Amino acid sequence: MKIPVSWVKDFVDLAVEPQQLADDLTSIGLACDGIETFGREAVLDLDITTNRVDAMNMYGVAREAAAFYSLPLKPLDLDFEESGVSSNDVLRIEIAAKDLCPRFAGRVFDVRVGPSPAWLKDRLELAGQRSINNIVDLSNYVMLEMGQPTHAFDLVRLRGGLLKARMAARDEVVKTLDEVDRALAPSMGVVADALGALAIAGIMGGASSEISDQTRTVALEAAYWNPLLIRRAAKALGMHTDASHRFERGADPAAGPIAIARFANLVARGGLGNARPGLIQAHGSQIEDRHLILSLDNLDARLGASVSMDRAQTTLTSLGFEVSQPDPEGAVHLGRERELEVGVPTWRGDCTREVDLIEEVARHYGLMKIARTVPASRRAAGLTPAQRTERGLKALLAGLGYREVLHLNFVSSAKCEASQGGVVRIANPLSVEQDALRNSLVMPGLLEGLERNQRRGARDVQFFELGRTFSPSPEGPVETPRLALLISGETPRGWTGRPRALDFFDLKRTLEEILMRHSGAEVTFDRLGVPPFLHPGRAVAIRLGGATKGYLGEVHPDVIEAFSLKDRPIVAEIDLEALSSPGPPEFHSFSRLPEAVRDLSVLVPSTTPASDVVALAREQAGPSARRVDLIDRFEGAGVPRGEVSLTLSFLFQDDARTLSSEEVERSMDAVRASFSKRGYNLRGLA
Amino acid sequence: MSSLDDLKKRVHELRERLEGELASASDTAALQAVRDRFLGRKAGEITALFKDLGKLAADARKEAGEALNAVKEWSEGKIGDAEARFARDQRESRLVSERIDVSLPGRARASGSKHPLTLVREEVEDVFIGLGFDIFDGPEVDDDFHCFEALNMPADHPARDMQDTFYLEGAPPRLLRTHTSTGQIRSMLANENPPGVRVLCPGRVFRRDDDITHSPMFHQFEGLVIDRGISLGDLMGTLEAFIHALFGKEYPVRFRPSYFPYTEPSVEVDMGCSTCKGRRTGCRVCKQTGWVEILGSGMVHPAVFESVNARLGRVVYDPAKVSGFAFGTGIERVAMIKYGISDIRLFYESDVRFLEQFS
Repeated sequence: MKIPVSWVKDFVDLAVEPQQLADDLTSIGLACDGIETFGREAVLDLDITTNRVDAMNMYGVAREAAAFYSLPLKPLDLDFEESGVSSNDVLRIEIAAKDLCPRFAGRVFDVRVGPSPAWLKDRLELAGQRSINNIVDLSNYVMLEMGQPTHAFDLVRLRGGLLKARMAARDEVVKTLDEVDRALAPSMGVVADALGALAIAGIMGGASSEISDQTRTVALEAAYWNPLLIRRAAKALGMHTDASHRFERGADPAAGPIAIARFANLVARGGLGNARPGLIQAHGSQIEDRHLILSLDNLDARLGASVSMDRAQTTLTSLGFEVSQPDPEGAVHLGRERELEVGVPTWRGDCTREVDLIEEVARHYGLMKIARTVPASRRAAGLTPAQRTERGLKALLAGLGYREVLHLNFVSSAKCEASQGGVVRIANPLSVEQDALRNSLVMPGLLEGLERNQRRGARDVQFFELGRTFSPSPEGPVETPRLALLISGETPRGWTGRPRALDFFDLKRTLEEILMRHSGAEVTFDRLGVPPFLHPGRAVAIRLGGATKGYLGEVHPDVIEAFSLKDRPIVAEIDLEALSSPGPPEFHSFSRLPEAVRDLSVLVPSTTPASDVVALAREQAGPSARRVDLIDRFEGAGVPRGEVSLTLSFLFQDDARTLSSEEVERSMDAVRASFSKRGYNLRGLA
Repeated sequence: MSSLDDLKKRVHELRERLEGELASASDTAALQAVRDRFLGRKAGEITALFKDLGKLAADARKEAGEALNAVKEWSEGKIGDAEARFARDQRESRLVSERIDVSLPGRARASGSKHPLTLVREEVEDVFIGLGFDIFDGPEVDDDFHCFEALNMPADHPARDMQDTFYLEGAPPRLLRTHTSTGQIRSMLANENPPGVRVLCPGRVFRRDDDITHSPMFHQFEGLVIDRGISLGDLMGTLEAFIHALFGKEYPVRFRPSYFPYTEPSVEVDMGCSTCKGRRTGCRVCKQTGWVEILGSGMVHPAVFESVNARLGRVVYDPAKVSGFAFGTGIERVAMIKYGISDIRLFYESDVRFLEQFS
């Protein structure tokens, strides 16, 4: 809110420079976002928090400044003379909706409508308001000055001489001052005359009763509207005005007659007309006075400071609270000598409990004066196993050459892969491109990320993302934390060798590394149950302890085309909850006896999974074979078509004794025999 | 050879010949031939002389033996020196020939990196773990109770405007949390050691906003401390310690009153502007105020305790007995200040040119 310093000075004799004033106001909670200077005028841009409607005007800011600097706050000049026939003779006020309108006040003025005088125009302009005409400007001036919105109706256009606060009729339409026809609902309040709605209560006046150059008599209305009803109506209508901003946050219920008096004073001072005798008032529902107890002990405990009774009393009094000490000697109740009874002023609707008073005292006491302490901790803290797993994975993958990426949760439902468990849709999306929550980190998030990089010329990428995916369930959306990986392009270029295309086995190696560290369960890779966006011949489902927990594979050529991708990206996704945090490593003593190494090459049909061959060899080689590794795979020259040559390397070693070469050969014979039995041709010992 | 004199003559001649041959030996093979010729166990000329010792008169044997031993030792020394010299020369020429171009870069290998938001998040978590906080993960999909109602923001509360919410289709009604303050409520409800709480809740949040400074998804962390006797001084001391740990002690910290529905008193925390270092003039980052907002915070509002108690069905957090403070901020905001990033969207575009700067 724009606050011209000179306007504030109408009410408090400030001696400080604008910058100092800005810093001081900031320190008590009226944050200054900047200072603008126009000639000799400095204008503060204050960011007034939504709870402080009372400070959204010059007088409210002056009250805070006066309290801060211990200066007197001058009263508003409300003096004026009445003349002419009584307001009551030409205007009736009625409240038909008591909840909507607890207070309604009005008075009639004879006016000479015209352009505003320079002082009025200038002040409004400094405060960021455009001048319209003298009467409307004065109404705005009063609101900016003391906070109460008022509305001026052209009296001759009030049919039946009536202003009535009521709920709108079904399908009632009001053309507002901005020339828009507003269709109203019965949940919205209006100010009506005898025949129909003139204005939307607390939000905006109507065109039909607008002040014009021909206006001679004005009915000025100043009401207090139910914040909730104004808020709902403004929201439903998509309107936000200076008036609704204040009313929906809770204006001062007692301010109406004061605003009218101030308007009358300014009309008279400016020679713009005269006030007719008689303030007309109507009351809807009752507004209770509020009294609170402030315990100095609670205050001190909450702040971690020691504030004197005197200090608390002075601060509250200077802000307009009525403060008394109900039991200064503690005579009635032991302990009550440290309590204050505090009457809350009508403009402080935000103060409803003791803590609100504590905040008032704290603001003016000065937060920076309170000693800063760090409370002792009672327990050792740390990461949970799941949190340790996440951190471990991020460190591992960054070390393995993967870059962590983060994508929005929002995806286009059209691009979601249905096989991933249905889609959770957003009821009010920003766009159709973002109308659902992702049910996969890969589809489409990582693929789109790859596409963006490829467009910028970065084709060789290795990405990982940790994030949640969402799937619908009768109990509401289910969140699943997942890890996804994507590699695409080639190994890094360098002078040491030619780059080669990254492939399935590069990513499989990474997954093996992850699973070796973070899974206690038995890991199997299975061609069955692979999502349809993967190449069916180059993909596996990842099963941990038999349960499917993810997938790994090359992206399906159709998907590569649909996403306009280059190269052959390989992706993987796995449930994070299936991964565990490694416990402390367990040491196993190792044999220091000699090892015997044997290599064996065998021709097998190329459709035979190599893992079957290795498993068979491992089984047949017996317990003394500490390792059986596949060290070569070859097809081509010298190998019959449809077959592949596999070379296995066996490492024999016993924990207790040196193995004889006969023992080793016996094991190898068993392997060879089992291979022959399967019809695999041995290629002899390498 | 029959006399001592003969022997001495032979020895003298051997010495001269050996020196001559050593001088002309040009490689290790030639050197080995010299060694074999003079000292070889079978055919060595010096070895042969030893065999002849017995032929000498008994009184001459001792002197002859000494002379032979002397020449043997001398020869071994000479040959050994020559061998060592050859070995040294050979090593030296090997070192010269094996020279590589050390200006070539190291072998290419893909380099990885954590996301800058992860770097900040882990750093923030570690500071608070050091202060005795646990890390609490809450759901991204939540409901009105945890996101608003329990946080003293009943339906139609004006503060809800600041957090325009995404709602999900279907039943039961669900929304995407607009702030990690949901973690306050959830950690209190799930607390295994009530009424004490000390948690940090990092995570994703969602608001219907999309421009250069706002993303519909971003990250926050929320902290909550509850215990007997927790004061505003504790709030300020803890947050000052945090800011100094994260940015450095050279930055001043400022606390000023503010407003959040779920805290009272509410406190905005500013730190000295890291761009203009408090000089103010012309600084766009701090709008010439010398300060940047870094955290929102405040003492837990009694209404929050009351909501949680109501949900628990008993008074676990009695506002008359326990108090607490809460704080929170955007992880992007901290990262942007810490790394000098100006466009929030860079965080989510997986642009390698951005990511590789955080290797």
